[in-house]
Parts: sequence; structure tokens; C-alpha cells
Amino acid sequence: MSGKVVERFPAGGATDVDDLVAALRAVPAGGPLTVGDDRIVEFLVAFARRLLRPAVARRHPELASLGFFLRRGEIARALARVADEPGQLRFPRGLVFHVPPANVDTIFVYSWALSALAGNANVVRISSRSAGAADAVLDALGDTLADADDVVRQTQRMVTYGRDDAVTAALSAAADLRVIWGGDRSVGEIRRHPLAPHARDLTFPDRSSFTVIGAAGWLAAAEADRDAAALGLYNDAYWFDQAACASPRAVYWVGDPASTGAARADLLSRLRRVLDGKRPEVDAAMAVEKRVATYGLAVEGAATAIHFDGNDLATVELAGPDDIPRRWLGVGTFPQARVDSLADLAPVVVRRDQTVTHFGFAADELVAFARALAGRGVDRIVPVGDALSFAATWDGYDLMREFTRITSVVTR
Amino acid sequence: MSLFALDQAAREARLLPELVELTEHHRARSPEYARLLASLGHLPGRRYDRVADLPWLPVRLFKHHVLKSIGDDEVFKVLTSSGTTGDVSRIYLDKDAAGVQQKMLSATLSAVIGTKRLPMLLVDTKALFKNRTSFSARGAGVLGLMNFGRDHTFVLDEQERPDPDAVRAFLERHGDQPFLIFGFTFMTWLYLYELAREHRFDLSNGILIHSGGWKKLVDRAVDNAEFRRRFTADTGLTRIHNFYGMVEQIGTTFLEGPDGGGLYCPEFADVIVRDPHTWAEVPVGTPGVVQVVSTMPRSYPGHLLLTEDRGVVHGVDDGAWPGKRFSILGRLPRAEARGCSDTFAEAAA
Repeated sequence: MSGKVVERFPAGGATDVDDLVAALRAVPAGGPLTVGDDRIVEFLVAFARRLLRPAVARRHPELASLGFFLRRGEIARALARVADEPGQLRFPRGLVFHVPPANVDTIFVYSWALSALAGNANVVRISSRSAGAADAVLDALGDTLADADDVVRQTQRMVTYGRDDAVTAALSAAADLRVIWGGDRSVGEIRRHPLAPHARDLTFPDRSSFTVIGAAGWLAAAEADRDAAALGLYNDAYWFDQAACASPRAVYWVGDPASTGAARADLLSRLRRVLDGKRPEVDAAMAVEKRVATYGLAVEGAATAIHFDGNDLATVELAGPDDIPRRWLGVGTFPQARVDSLADLAPVVVRRDQTVTHFGFAADELVAFARALAGRGVDRIVPVGDALSFAATWDGYDLMREFTRITSVVTR
Repeated sequence: MSLFALDQAAREARLLPELVELTEHHRARSPEYARLLASLGHLPGRRYDRVADLPWLPVRLFKHHVLKSIGDDEVFKVLTSSGTTGDVSRIYLDKDAAGVQQKMLSATLSAVIGTKRLPMLLVDTKALFKNRTSFSARGAGVLGLMNFGRDHTFVLDEQERPDPDAVRAFLERHGDQPFLIFGFTFMTWLYLYELAREHRFDLSNGILIHSGGWKKLVDRAVDNAEFRRRFTADTGLTRIHNFYGMVEQIGTTFLEGPDGGGLYCPEFADVIVRDPHTWAEVPVGTPGVVQVVSTMPRSYPGHLLLTEDRGVVHGVDDGAWPGKRFSILGRLPRAEARGCSDTFAEAAA
């Protein structure tokens, strides 16, 4: 008893999952895909060009980022990481099954594009709730297909299906690699379905992130850089309702009380100006959500003060630096705490922490911080404003390496 | 003496000092509530000029946190609400609070049903009470109201099918005297109205009390006015009282007046409709988010609650009863988190 899927790319009707797997497994007419296969590279470059069209980029700024990520130069850089070496040949893993998150509309494209670049056949489960940017992506992919090699149509598939365990089981059993985004619950749900003995999972569980700002560095920075940082914080936090794993869910101020107080007031007034210009939509339901979340912190004793500056900006004084709320508190909610030095934050960090966005520190301070963490948590330390810039290294994985396998050739 | 006799100025004058005292009462007894007030800058001794200035709590806080103003050893009863999202409010009552809430519900309803126990028709099924261990909110609601009637007759049989014979027998016994009808709004419409119209039952001596909102009737284009009009036209029923209340403010029931012009507040309660952008009180006629106010909750800090309902005040001291005359317009949607999680949560709704 096998289930049905609806084909979204290439667009089609309902298909039997077993037929889908058979098509993905068949050797393409023009020969099997290779790592960095030209037929795929040309498709991705043409697809990126569509995303960078002004009409698309204006409506969905996050798609412009995706377009930049897939430019020819970037693709070449990604491929250089998995180039053949003497005695080491790189090959695709085979069939990759991707389960992206329902709510960040663009993650599935990054995950899929890198895997396609690695020469894999891919099947991506698209959320039936997908909307907006995800639909724009599917449209752009469909339009690009017209001029593409047939191999793309055969080996790259995006489908939707309801809660059908039979489909998940069939795709899991057929996969050489399964990629699960979307948090702890999804990982647990999907892992109930066995993989083939040689296959493995690449999991992206629940993560959370925070910002560190050096007060001295902030106060010494040029006006323009401070404005850019306020805009950067806005983009990091507000783009996906502060719910993306890389969006900061707390702000740490590093320095003495007087300078952190001054720096804080300055950042918040600049962020206020950004908000007054951008006017993010914070509806009544979200506003109530923020009250429930922040009041809850006070009830628990984690917060000592809560301040609402309109519905779009809430700040919370944390009782101490060692107890940051890692859960989602609604868009535009910034719990804050002060520490004397970056090193004081090292004990606070847990495995779940993913991205630390920073401002006002020198490179050696950040490296020393990373060394102090010793890999116990935090996978990315990036400037404020770059939290949501997807990279080929994510959650500590070098994705191109994960999507390929190595054949060693040793000669006497 | 009806609980619906206090005009707005007298109500405000009476409620303000009581609510200030109640706020201090909860602050002194609930460390969690005290922490919350402190973090919001509401410190002891602060002066309040209006009830609307007092600090309110979002009602969902009771779904995530234990907030009570009584010791663990004084907990007599824990009431739970079933949320549609699966999380549940927990409301802690001591013996006093449990007694008072039943008394106040009774005093409130006596305004429309009198003080005598009337024969009672329940638009539900006895099967609700089959499983004593897992009691649904629906079951609890029905059970709570059953105390006000006698000779209880269920409109639906145990398989949840309308039972015209049972209703006919009830009406033969009691239909010529006042009798009580209770049900959830959508069930009253789907089962009782349809049944009574089809069988030409005479409900003209009935007093209908119903609650639960209009959401399930939206696609049938039935609103409060249509509901009343058709019940009257097709069954003779004229005494129809919608009511609004929530487990988080137990004992407080906002009741539709005899004019059908909206819900009214009992004398120990009030509503404040707030602008969802500024959270200031909006003028009469402007829709917003409903805050409910009541001096009932003493065992937990539930006296000033922001609901997740939208509503509008139609008028003040201008209806069948004094005070604010208002309607509930529907639920606020639940804020959806976008983000990296919940690939699978989509099928849960």
C-alpha cells in the first residue's frame, strides 16, 4: 500500500510514490549526474537570475539573498571545497530526501540546491502550507525548467503530501541520505521511519541564537556603522518573526554598567527609527503573544523589568545572564543582560545555541570566545545583520561534504 | 434584587477601590504575581484613577503558569479549561472561592430564570457523563448548569441523534409553564431549532440560556439577531439569553438582556474594550480586544484579564439594563510562529 504525492516541481498531478522513486533511481539519458555537473550548474545559474529580477527581489527580499548565493562565482567556491584530490575522488551520495521546515520559506531551496550541485537526485517535501516566497520560488524553478536539460526534470523533484506515513516511509527507505530540518519534533517523527543500512540522517534540530554587543566598540563606532547595525538587527530579528533559528532571542551587552547603559539607549533609539520607517506588521494576536511570553518570564523570575515601546518593540531585563530564554517570545522581543566580558558568556552556552551575531569586538576577541566555547555550542559567529545569510557550512556541517562521498584510489 | 441594576458611574466608583484592594491582596499572596507587577512598574501604593489603569494579565498566562493566591494546602478544587490548542488553563479555588462562584452564577442567572428550579431541557446527550474520569469542558458546562433545573431531559439520545419523542414528552409534562433550556449555541441551533421547527414544537414558555460563540454557525449565516428572529418565528421562543464567561474568571457571567441588544455586566464586573495597537480603551462603537473585570477571583489573580476575544461596546446605560452593553465579535487568531521548527505541526490543527 503506497501513498500518493502531488508534484510541485516539475509541476504535475498526483503520482504514486513508488513510481517517483523509480524515476529518481533511473540512470539519466545523458549519463549519471556528477559533482558540479554542468547541466545542474547551468540550471541553478539561470534560476538565480530569475530570483534577482527586481520585481521578485522587491516583493521577497529573502529571495534576492538566495539569488546571490547561487551566482556562478559562489557556486564555483562551493564546488572547490569538494574538488577531487590525488587518490580521492568525490561522487554524489545518490538519492537525497529533504524534509524542510514548514515556515522558513527558503531553507528548502538552499538545502536542495547544494545537494543538486553535489550531483544527487533529490526529492524535497514542500509544506502544503507554503505560501508567498515559497510559491515564488516554485514559479521561478518552473519557468527555468523550459530551457533546462532533461536530467533536471528527471532527477530533481519537489512534492507535497499530507500526513502520510506510507510516503515518508517509502522515501526514507529509498534514500541514501535524509535531511531533516524543522526541529526536535520533526526529527523524532521522521526518524521512526527506517533508512537503508548504509544511509544516514543529517538533522537540524531546534536551535536558538543571541547577539553580543561590546559597549566600548559600539560607542566608538561611526554613526553610519551604528545605523547599519540597527538595520542589521532589524533584518536578523524581524524577517521571519524572530522565529528563525538564527534570529537573536537575547541581546548581551559586554562592558561596564555606565557604557552598556549608554550604548543600549543609543541602539534602541536607532532601532526605533528603523521600525518607524519599516513599520513591521505586528497584529493583535502577535501583540498578545508577546505579552504572554514576556509576562511569563516575570512570573518565572527570569525577568525583572518589561518595557513595551509600541507593539513592535519589547525589551526585557533579565535577572541574570545565565538564564536566557531560548524559546520564541514573539516578533520584536529583546531580553537583555549585561556581562563584564565575553568570557563570562562561555558557561551560559549550550549545545542548542547556533548563531552568535556580534558588534564592537576585534577578531581575536571573537576567536578567543570561540576557543573558550570549545565546540560545546554555537556554530556561527557572524556580524549583526548576517544572522540569516545562509552558508554552505550550517549547524556545524560542511554541507557539500555531507552531500558527497569519497572513493579512495591507492596505487602501488 | 437583580445583579443588573448598577449604572456605569456607580459601578466604576464601587469597583475601583475593591479592585485596588484585590490587586494588593494577590500581590501579598502570590510571589509570581508580585514579580510580574514589579517588572511592569506597578509598585505598591500606586494611585489608580480608573479601573482601566489597573494592570491586566493576558488570559493565556494561566495556561503556562501556576498563579494562585492560596497555599497548596488550601486548594479545594482545580478547574481546567480545554483550549483548542491543547494547552489548558488551571484555576485554583479554595473552599470559599468554590462556594462563591456557584452562588454568583446562581445570582446572575436568577435575573432571567428566577429563583425556583424549573423543569430543564438540555440540548446535549446524557452520554457526556458516561466517562466519569475524562470530563470534557462541554460536560462540565452542562453539569454546572444542571443545578438550576429539575426533571432534566436531554434533546439528544446516547448516540447523539435528536430524540423528538423525549422532547415531546417533556413538553406534554411542562410546556404550559415556564421551563428552562440550556445548550451550547451551535448545538441549540443545529438540534433544537431544527427539531422544533420540523415537529412544530411550542417553546413559547421556554427560557433559553446558551453560550459558546458563533464561529460554527458563520457558514450558515446565523448571527445573534437571526438566531433570535427565527427561534421566535418558528418555535414561539422569545426569552433568549446568550451568556459569556470563561473558566479563568469563574463565577462571572455576562448575560444577554431581555432586549437582545447585547451582553450586560453583573454589578461586580465590567468589560473594557481596548485598541490592539495602543491598548488604550476605545470609544463606544469601536471594536477592539475585550478585557474582563471582576471582583470575584480572590484565590488566584484573575480579576483583570485580557481575553483573546474581539468585542465592541454598543452603548453605556442605554439598554434594558444599566452599564455597558456589548457584543463579542469572535476570537483573535493565534499568532503563528514562522521559523525553523514544526515541519510536522501543520497537520495538528
